[in-house]
Amino acid sequence: MSSAFAVDRAFAVIAFKRRLAYKTQWLVGLVLGGGAMLVSMAMWRELLSGGALSGYDWDAMRAYVIIGFITATMVFGAADWQIADRILDGHVAIDLTKPVDFQRARAAEYIGSMCSTVPTVVFGVAGAWLLFDPPGPVSVTAGILTAVSLLLVFPLAFGITYLTVLVCFWTKRYLGVMWLREALLGFFSGMMIPLAFMPSWLQAIAWALPFPHFTTTPSAIYLGHVDTAGALGLLAAEAAWAAGMWFGARLIFNQAVKKVTVHGG
Amino acid sequence: MADTTTHPVRHAGGVYGRSIVAQIRAITEYPADFWVMASAGVMWNVLQFAFLTVLFAAVPDVAGWRYHEMLMLSGLLTVAAGSTALLCDGIWSTGTYVLKGEIDYRITRPAPVVVQVASSHIGMQGFGEVAFGLVMAVYGWIGAGMGLAAVPAGVLGLACAIVIECALITMLCAVNFWIKGTNSVFAFVMLDLQHNAMTLPLALFPAAVKLVTMFVLPVAFVNFVPVAVLTGHLGPWWLVGPPLAAAASVLAAVGVYRLGLRSYDSSGH
Repeated sequence: MSSAFAVDRAFAVIAFKRRLAYKTQWLVGLVLGGGAMLVSMAMWRELLSGGALSGYDWDAMRAYVIIGFITATMVFGAADWQIADRILDGHVAIDLTKPVDFQRARAAEYIGSMCSTVPTVVFGVAGAWLLFDPPGPVSVTAGILTAVSLLLVFPLAFGITYLTVLVCFWTKRYLGVMWLREALLGFFSGMMIPLAFMPSWLQAIAWALPFPHFTTTPSAIYLGHVDTAGALGLLAAEAAWAAGMWFGARLIFNQAVKKVTVHGG
Repeated sequence: MADTTTHPVRHAGGVYGRSIVAQIRAITEYPADFWVMASAGVMWNVLQFAFLTVLFAAVPDVAGWRYHEMLMLSGLLTVAAGSTALLCDGIWSTGTYVLKGEIDYRITRPAPVVVQVASSHIGMQGFGEVAFGLVMAVYGWIGAGMGLAAVPAGVLGLACAIVIECALITMLCAVNFWIKGTNSVFAFVMLDLQHNAMTLPLALFPAAVKLVTMFVLPVAFVNFVPVAVLTGHLGPWWLVGPPLAAAASVLAAVGVYRLGLRSYDSSGH
C-alpha cells in the first residue's frame, strides 16, 4: 500500500483490533441482529402464507430480511461512539493539532470498526442460510452489483454517522442523536418494512434521503426488482450520496469546530 | 445526622424524591440535550406507529390481532420502557459504579443503595416515550372500541407493566456485580429483544418463546397479557398474572441486587 494511505490503514487497523478485543460485542451483535432477524422471519412467514404482498413472496422476503440483517449489523455495530466521545470530552482539540485530517482519520477508524462486524455477519448469514434457505441472486451480474452496493454502504454509513456526530459540538450527550439517526435509518431504509408497502408519498420522501441504499437498493438488485441499467442507476445514486455527504461534512465541520473551547489558559 | 425515628420506607422514598428532583433541575441546565433526547423518544414511536399503519394497509390482521390492538401492544410497552427511563435510569450505571468502586460511597449513606443508584440519572427520552406511548395506547383503545368499564383493568395492567419493567431491568443490571463491565449487556439485550418481539402477538413464535416470556423472564406480562385480556384474546382470569409477575419480579430484583452487594469488593483488588 502506498504511503499516501499508510496513516489511514494504521487508523483502520487499530480500530479493527480494538473492536475485536471486545469479543462480547460479537455475541451481543449476533444475539440482537439474529433476534431481530428471527422475529422478522416469524412475522413475514405468517403474513405471506396466503401469497405475495406488494411484490414480495415468502422466497423474496427471506432474502430481503437476510440482506437487512447484513447491513444493520455493519452499520449498528460500528464505532460511532468513539468519534462522538472525542468531541464531547474535548479530545478533538488535540486532534486538531495533529498532522492528519480529522475527518479522514475518523473515516479510517469507522471503516476499520465496520470490518470488525464481518465475523458476526458471516456467522449470522451462515445460520440464516441453513435455517431459511433463501434464494440466490437473480443473476451473476445481480450478485456482483449487490456486492458493490454493500461495499458502498461503508462510505455511506460513515457519511450519515459523521454528519450526525457533528451535532455533539452543540450538545452535551450523543445518545439521543444516535437514537434519532437509528430510528430514521431503520424505517426509511426499509429494514422495518419494505418501502414497496408504503404509500407513494412516503416512498418519495424515503427516496429523497440516503437511507434506502442501506437495504432497499442491495435487495432490489439481488432480487431482480430492477434491471442492470436500473441497478447501475441506484449504485450511482448511492455513490453520489456518499460523496455528497463527505464534502458536506467538511463544510459543517469547518463551522462546528468554531465551538471548540480549550479551558485552562 | 439521619432521623432514625422515620419509617425506613418513607425515608427511602424521601431520598429518592429529592434525588430525582435534583436530576430534573440538572436537566433544565441543558435544554438542547433535553429536546434531542425527548425527540428521539418520540421519533422511535412515531415510526413504530407508521410501521403498523403501513403494514395494516396491506394486511387485515397479524395472527388474529387487528391494527388498534397492535397499537395498544406497542403503546403499553413504550410507556413501561419510558417509565423506567424516568424512574430508575440510574440503574444502568450499576456496572460503571461497581467497576470504579463508586458503590463504596453509596454504602456509607443512610439509604438503600439500589434507591441511590436508580435515582442517580433520568433518561430524558422517557418524556417523549411516555407521552407518545400513551397517545398510541389511548388511540388504540378508542379504535378497538373499548369503553370506560375496562379502565380499571387497564390502569392495573399499566401499573404492573411499569413495576415489572423496572424490576427486570434492575435485576439484569445487577448481573454487573459479577460480570464486570460498564455496559449492562443483559438488560440491553432484554430491552432490545422485547421491543422486537413483544410488539407482536406471541402466537407467531414457537412454544419455547411463550414459556420463557411468561415464566422465566416474564416480559409477556408487561404488555402482551394485559392487552390480550382487555381485547378478549385471553380469558379474564389471566388478569391475575400481571400483579403476580410484578411481585415476583420485585422480589427477584431486590434479592439479586442484595446478593450482588454482598459479593461487591470495591475496586483495585
